[in-house]
Amino acid sequence: MIIYVATLIVIVVIMLALIAVFSKKLLSAIIASGFVSLGVSGLFFFLQAPDVAITEAAIGAGLSTAIFIIALKKVKKGESKDEE
Amino acid sequence: MRNDTPALVKRITALSLITILLIGFFLAFKEMPKGSAVNVNQRVSRLYVMKNVETATKMMENGKFFAKGIKPLRTDVPYTPITFGKSKNLEDGAANVVTSIVVDYRGFDTLGEVTVLFLAATGVAMLLFGKEKKRKNKTEPSLIMYVGTRISFAIIFLFGIYIFVHGHLTPGGGFPGGAVIASGILGLFLGKNGYKPNHLGLKVFESLSGMAFVIIGLTGLFSVHSFLANFLPTGVIGDLYSAGFIGLIYIAIGMKVGAELSAVVNSMIVDVEEEWS
Repeated sequence: MIIYVATLIVIVVIMLALIAVFSKKLLSAIIASGFVSLGVSGLFFFLQAPDVAITEAAIGAGLSTAIFIIALKKVKKGESKDEE
Repeated sequence: MRNDTPALVKRITALSLITILLIGFFLAFKEMPKGSAVNVNQRVSRLYVMKNVETATKMMENGKFFAKGIKPLRTDVPYTPITFGKSKNLEDGAANVVTSIVVDYRGFDTLGEVTVLFLAATGVAMLLFGKEKKRKNKTEPSLIMYVGTRISFAIIFLFGIYIFVHGHLTPGGGFPGGAVIASGILGLFLGKNGYKPNHLGLKVFESLSGMAFVIIGLTGLFSVHSFLANFLPTGVIGDLYSAGFIGLIYIAIGMKVGAELSAVVNSMIVDVEEEWS
């Protein structure tokens, strides 16, 4: 049973990673990479590494996604100023 | 030394300083007590390293625990399985192997990791932290956001503290606990425009907890003759007051990482006045 769930998660993670690489919008790429972290933390939990899973969920899916979004906001602000 | 001193004097001074430092280093190295080589098979019992204690106990009873031709290293000490809540005075009382390796046996690596994180946070603060900009067209977050983040901050903060206080009993520890606390503080930033934590206070708090880590390590050096050695009794496995200094170190790491990542979020989210040229 758990192998099917893990396979499903792997497929979803690979698709999300492809979205993160090939999407034109940076915001959707960031959100997709956040979901990749979430799926990977689930995989870590299935592989009996709960400590790594907790760290990945807290840092990868939570904090770094937020920090990327803040950074994207700042970068866009600078771009618009340059164009003006 | 002033700027107009000749280059030769500068060079000679630097050379003598380096020589004094090297001599001091070698003298200290010579005076250091020789640590006895640690035999991992003797110190860590195999049952403890095997994750599944039940299976290991069954193998012990059937006599299959040691493969053919392999003898136990110490015949004077019987290999007894470790039971949760009963076993006393173990060599390392942490409830899972990863914790005891990360904090106790390889505590020096953890100190290095914490230092790397400190350098990264300092770099981010150096590049990004600056004076606040005038906020003109920013939309205020709604009342629901404001109240909701304030309520959930208390719960998230408490959960982070729970994670790092119980680091030696559960698969958690200082790093995830600190990250959880920092995400709670990120929620506070989102809830109100112009929320300002005390940045200097965060930095001082973080440095103090980092120093606490080193002081615990030095206490081990002076009492047990090894840096970051466990100098407290290990107690009954599974109790809150057990596992010696692992709980103390995880509390120090958790506070340090929480303050550090909060400072990173603060310096990222506050607008910088000077523009990129």
